[in-house]
Amino acid sequence: MRRLVTELMTGDDDPTRDADRLAPLVYDELRRIAAHFMRGERPGRTLQATALVHEAYLRLATAGTPWHDKRHFVGIAARAMRQILVERARARGAQKRWAGLDRVTLTDALAVAAPEAAMLPALDEALTRLEAIDPEQARLVELRYFAGLSIEEAAEALSMSPATLKRRWALARAWLFRELSQSSLE
Amino acid sequence: MTGGMTTEQQRRVARLFEAAVDLEPSRAASFIASDAADDAVVRNEVLSLLASHSRAGAFLQQPIGDAAPELFDDDPALAPGTSVGPYVIVRELGRGGMGRVYLATDSRLGRTVALKALAPDLVRDSAQRERLRREARAAASLSHPGICTVYALEEVDGELYIATEVVDGHTLRDEIASASRRSADVLATALELATALAAAHAAGLVHRDLKPENVMRTGDGRLKIVDFGLARIDPARSNPRGVAADTPPITHAGVVAGTPAYMAPEQIEGGSVDARTDVFAFGVLVYEYASGVHPFGGASPLATIARVLEHDAQPLAVRCPDLPAGLSEVVTRCLRKRAADRFGSAAEIVGALKATGDAMGGAPGTRWWRTHQLVVAALYVAAAVLAWQIKEWVETPLTVAIFIVLGGVATVGAVLRGHLVFTDRMNRPRLTVERRRTRRGIVLIDFVLAAMLMIDAIATGGVRALPAVFALSLAVGVSLASVVLEPATTRAAFGDEE
Repeated sequence: MRRLVTELMTGDDDPTRDADRLAPLVYDELRRIAAHFMRGERPGRTLQATALVHEAYLRLATAGTPWHDKRHFVGIAARAMRQILVERARARGAQKRWAGLDRVTLTDALAVAAPEAAMLPALDEALTRLEAIDPEQARLVELRYFAGLSIEEAAEALSMSPATLKRRWALARAWLFRELSQSSLE
Repeated sequence: MTGGMTTEQQRRVARLFEAAVDLEPSRAASFIASDAADDAVVRNEVLSLLASHSRAGAFLQQPIGDAAPELFDDDPALAPGTSVGPYVIVRELGRGGMGRVYLATDSRLGRTVALKALAPDLVRDSAQRERLRREARAAASLSHPGICTVYALEEVDGELYIATEVVDGHTLRDEIASASRRSADVLATALELATALAAAHAAGLVHRDLKPENVMRTGDGRLKIVDFGLARIDPARSNPRGVAADTPPITHAGVVAGTPAYMAPEQIEGGSVDARTDVFAFGVLVYEYASGVHPFGGASPLATIARVLEHDAQPLAVRCPDLPAGLSEVVTRCLRKRAADRFGSAAEIVGALKATGDAMGGAPGTRWWRTHQLVVAALYVAAAVLAWQIKEWVETPLTVAIFIVLGGVATVGAVLRGHLVFTDRMNRPRLTVERRRTRRGIVLIDFVLAAMLMIDAIATGGVRALPAVFALSLAVGVSLASVVLEPATTRAAFGDEE
């Protein structure tokens, strides 16, 4: 963490820059990520979004993770979101509900994205397998699906063109879709 | 992409898929057939993925936050009357970082407990549960009036609950938020807190998450530290699943507690945590309690963390010049960045604070109060002597009885007041409690003593006028001291009217 602060601070030309001025940048970034979750802008949800940001922030700040730039940070925040949400879904018995789905329901469900929360643990496992094959695709899914970044934003975070990102996103989705519908057949 | 493809093949699959995905199906098929004519595995894989792509529909297209907003909802509270194992829920007391807290009745013992339902995501795997059990066991072995007692850790239907003593009162956070505090109160609070903490440290327990929210003041003025040993279970310590090798894990094996504002530098940095970590949090807490200002307060948690790591707090003596110097020095030493520069444990703080308390005993308000106690005790003795003298002059059964009663009451009263003065000098944190305990008795003693003196005055009035007048004035004097002077000196010394 000390490294992080130092690094963020020396990224600027003036090393004596007050940490107070720096903090809002990082925090706003996380808030923005949470805002994507809250896009529906339902009244009364603001608090949970903030709580989530705080939760994500703590995971980052206390882990001693040095992030080199904003992109890196967005990636880490998206990953934190993934962990938080998958844990929550798991804690609420998502596996049981998922296992209870029959094949037809499942395939339909995947395509229309109905029981999303129930799917999360299975998706998380599939994503971990995808990670082993192509870490970048897994990052992409975290940014798009868990942090709710748009194609353009995700493209910027991964330093690729939006067109390339769009095609890679299609690949990741196809791979995960196959993985999830197959796992139910076994 | 599954099973047995080389990295080269996987790359080829990805490249082909991305080239073909925007083509119309028939063109895509012929493109793949020609481009990957040499490798059936790659060909089949790309076709399989393209088929999945066409069936995937809206899969993953809507971010999870939009698709499953219920993940952001709180878990519903248990309704009153619900049974949780042997406990019956009475009502919800509140929500903490670890889950909901209920007031419940233990049906086996008929005792009322605070039942803390631990959020399931905190205790998902068996390793976490086991760690929690160990912690609860250690906390339960701790018995100290300044620490909220842990009764049991219960597992009901796979969910974990911690049953603890019910602590009625308000938190130090409430006190910080309300009026400012007097120097004597700050010192007494610091000493009482350090004493409780020292008991835990002596038992090898470290709190790890000491903060104003975790210290309660009960109805009788005592402090109680809550959530001992629970800080170890924290979402940030959960299993770092799915973390790729190329990025450092964002969860960490080091100890992380929930409130960065009270974390010591070594805690923030994931270093080892011991009693000295609590000593730091204690310093932050007392600083804030005394001044109403957080020593490292920043615009955001990150700013606060940066300050904890890099900046020295403005000395408490500068913020609160009225505080005894010894207390400010103790706080400054607690807030040192290097654990080795702080007090080794809370017991050392107790020692330092007691020394400060002794030096501070000369505070004007307390001195008046102490003088008052001693003067009244002297009046008691005078009353007893007078009753003896009156009995000598006019020996009737009444005057003898009065001498006996008055002598006894005066002795008890003098002992009680002496005890208060002694407590004030030797064990200041107990003083508030002792004053409350003895208050009624002392008022009653004053009343009985005055009444006895008056009866004595009436009984002697016809025989010897002068002693009767003296007894009467003594009665009036004791009454006035009890009704008028005592509340005034008490207020001057402690700021309350008891």
